[in-house]
Amino acid sequence: MNAKEVAEKLKGKFKEDILKIEEKVKDKLYININKKKVKDIADYVFNELKARFNISAGTDRRNIHGDFQITHIFSLDSDKIFLLLQTSVDPNDPNIDSITPKVPGANWAEREFRDMIGVNPIGHPDPRRLVLSDDWPENVYPLRKDFPADCKIPGVSVGAPGPRVVMKEPPPDATVVPIGPFFPVLEEPSQWRVFVKGETVVGCDYRGFYIHRGIEKMGDSVLTYNQIPFIAERICGICGFVHSCCYCQTVEEAAGIEIPKRAKYIRSIILELERIHSHLLWLGIAGHIIGFDTVLMQSWRMREPVMWLTERITGNRKTYGMNLIGGVRRDITKENEKEILEVIGKIEKELLALIEAIQGDTTLMMRLKDVGILSYEDAVKMSVTGPTARGSGVEIDARVDHPFAAYEYVPVKKCVHKEGDVLARTLVRLEETLESIRIIRECLKQMPDGDIMANLEGDVTAGKEGVSVVEAPRGEVIHYVITGPENKPYRWRVRAPTYANLQSVPLMFSNATLADVPITLGSIDPCFSCTERVEVVDLKKGKSKIYTQDELLKLSRRKYGGK
Amino acid sequence: MFEIVMSIVNLILVILLAPLYEGVLRKVKAIVHSRIGPPIYQPYLDIIKLLGKEDLRVSNNILIGLAPIVCFASIMMVALLTPIGSIKAPLGGSGDVIVLIYFISLAAFSIMIGAAATTNVYAFIGLTRKMMLYLVLETIIVLSILTGVVRSGSFNISDIVSWNLKNGPTFSMLIAAIPFFLVMQAQLAKLPFDIAEAEQEIMEGPFIEASGPRLALFKWSFFAKQIIYASLFLEIFLPWPKTMIIPIDIIINLVKVLIVIFIIGVIDVVNPRLRVDQAIKYYTGVSIIALIALAFAIIRA
Repeated sequence: MNAKEVAEKLKGKFKEDILKIEEKVKDKLYININKKKVKDIADYVFNELKARFNISAGTDRRNIHGDFQITHIFSLDSDKIFLLLQTSVDPNDPNIDSITPKVPGANWAEREFRDMIGVNPIGHPDPRRLVLSDDWPENVYPLRKDFPADCKIPGVSVGAPGPRVVMKEPPPDATVVPIGPFFPVLEEPSQWRVFVKGETVVGCDYRGFYIHRGIEKMGDSVLTYNQIPFIAERICGICGFVHSCCYCQTVEEAAGIEIPKRAKYIRSIILELERIHSHLLWLGIAGHIIGFDTVLMQSWRMREPVMWLTERITGNRKTYGMNLIGGVRRDITKENEKEILEVIGKIEKELLALIEAIQGDTTLMMRLKDVGILSYEDAVKMSVTGPTARGSGVEIDARVDHPFAAYEYVPVKKCVHKEGDVLARTLVRLEETLESIRIIRECLKQMPDGDIMANLEGDVTAGKEGVSVVEAPRGEVIHYVITGPENKPYRWRVRAPTYANLQSVPLMFSNATLADVPITLGSIDPCFSCTERVEVVDLKKGKSKIYTQDELLKLSRRKYGGK
Repeated sequence: MFEIVMSIVNLILVILLAPLYEGVLRKVKAIVHSRIGPPIYQPYLDIIKLLGKEDLRVSNNILIGLAPIVCFASIMMVALLTPIGSIKAPLGGSGDVIVLIYFISLAAFSIMIGAAATTNVYAFIGLTRKMMLYLVLETIIVLSILTGVVRSGSFNISDIVSWNLKNGPTFSMLIAAIPFFLVMQAQLAKLPFDIAEAEQEIMEGPFIEASGPRLALFKWSFFAKQIIYASLFLEIFLPWPKTMIIPIDIIINLVKVLIVIFIIGVIDVVNPRLRVDQAIKYYTGVSIIALIALAFAIIRA
């Protein structure tokens, strides 16, 4: 099926309820639909056309078009097509039919636009607050354009007790075991209320977003196009490059900028280096979760040269700061190329030995095999991505399905396992690491000489749209941008892979034992996000002080309370 | 007089050397991990530091304070009933194998009771896991020691040791040594069987609410357990070589203990943690070996 056929099919089925179909960029269909039919059309797209749900974006367009816009983004991966179902919502009646009953993976996405924009998904099975904290006042929607970026609204005090999110109660004769908000194997805060009978898990409830930092709001309000890549990179502490890369691609698509070929290759190489170090990091953490600290220590030792290498290339171990709209900021020199080959060669050798050791370890197999199973049907239903999907036999990989950067020139092999257990997800990641090494070699071989930055003239036109994906180590990152005036985006929507994958974890928990809960949760490689500021309240003096990163650094270097 | 001197020697050995063995164990782990690791004397510093910390208690329940003391005391009693170097255990005259096993159990039960008193959910999970495991482990310990009892015809440990020395290595005793050795891995809470503590799953389970001096006592009993169990294993099942000169025998024993602890440490470091159901299944298999050993003992093999 190509984009035209899909458009014809939709028009034939829904006739006048499809207001407008526009293929703004090749294979990206912007479909304007009747609000009343959103549930039926989403149902058809998801269940009949077998599209995968990506994310929903809510946009406050009251000062341009006088409405809210809800965009449900779907993708037909085997046909390389994106479908953006867009509908206009009247501010006087901010309600829309919920698609979650038909598209289970849309659960969080709909709750999020309700929290952020204030458009109610009617008929949502679990309409509790998701993103906003318990102390956020009701009827204040942070992503509306009249909400100031500094949170200072006269008459509204943020921080006053708001509606408390009521967590689910356990079924009769089950007890609650809290995992989180702070727990040894969770690197970041998230709360799982696990209901157990004896050692068997019978259910769970989740509350997260404790460290939501309002990055989208910053992008929508105060930051300019070329400042955002540096903030985008800070969305994730491990795979940040994917976000800056995806953001730049999206703006480039919206503005119609073609970047130089060499820049594409450089992006691919850095993306793959990031995947190698991220997968090795995950492997170590997975080992640690099941008490196998030798795996942790050895795989992190193997990972270290990659960090050193990226520091050589980009100046940083992490958060590379390489991307700008139109290309990359630093070139890969001949000297770098030699170092890259050296490092990945060494990693390949050690990794092969490690894979052999892992596959021959019977005790390890006992802990990983048939644990945390996510069936193919559930994986499709919840629209999971990345190794979590590929471990369940869902053959999706954004590098193949929606080629970006240099992946159209360098073919990628999809690493798929069918079992759907923790072992399958582990093997997928290990094979992908080897595949990454191959891709880097291929890229270095093919990389043409030339510019690394496109010649940009004039401003980006306002009112354009773009949607783009990047295959991150944890799955697919998707960014959606509406361009705006004053060299700023009007709306910037980000979805990280864990957003999709985390929603499938309750399915993996069913019938697990409590001992398997941490490794099951760990097996999707959850990545929430980190914060760098600490507020200290002096109770005696009743004063509070917010430490900056510099001050914290100074404090941590000061020895035993001296100066 | 002999008993008093040997009691003091045993206690001093166990109490003072236990952290050193733990330090060696940590170093071994670190080497396998490609780490430098803490200095060998680090466990001493840990215990000294913990002893000086504030004792935070979650409730006024008297059992919370009592549990670590009972645990430490019963481990010390086991030390006095275990021959280390000499054939005779210091208190061997006043207690036999059954008393020894009682004190081993008491140490475990005091941990469970202390955990139950905390009303912490993770402590409870740890407690149930420990209980499930212990039911299997104790059977195996009893069965393997019983093999010695049947062969020597005495419930006294010293008699078992001297019988084994006199009658050379026997088939039944060597088979019985296998389950006892395998049980040590779980009894000393080493991977893959540190299920009741499982730092990453239930945050040290029964010890989650133990702090300061109470944690120090628990840790110290754990360190001491390593020497005691290894000595018990070596003296009952593999007492050779013996010179009959007590100071030399003690040194030989300590070296052998080091080797045993080293092996246990290596098994610990190359394994992930099993689930409790998998561990119980495994030890059910091990208990069959113990039964076979007992059967051989009965036919005097």
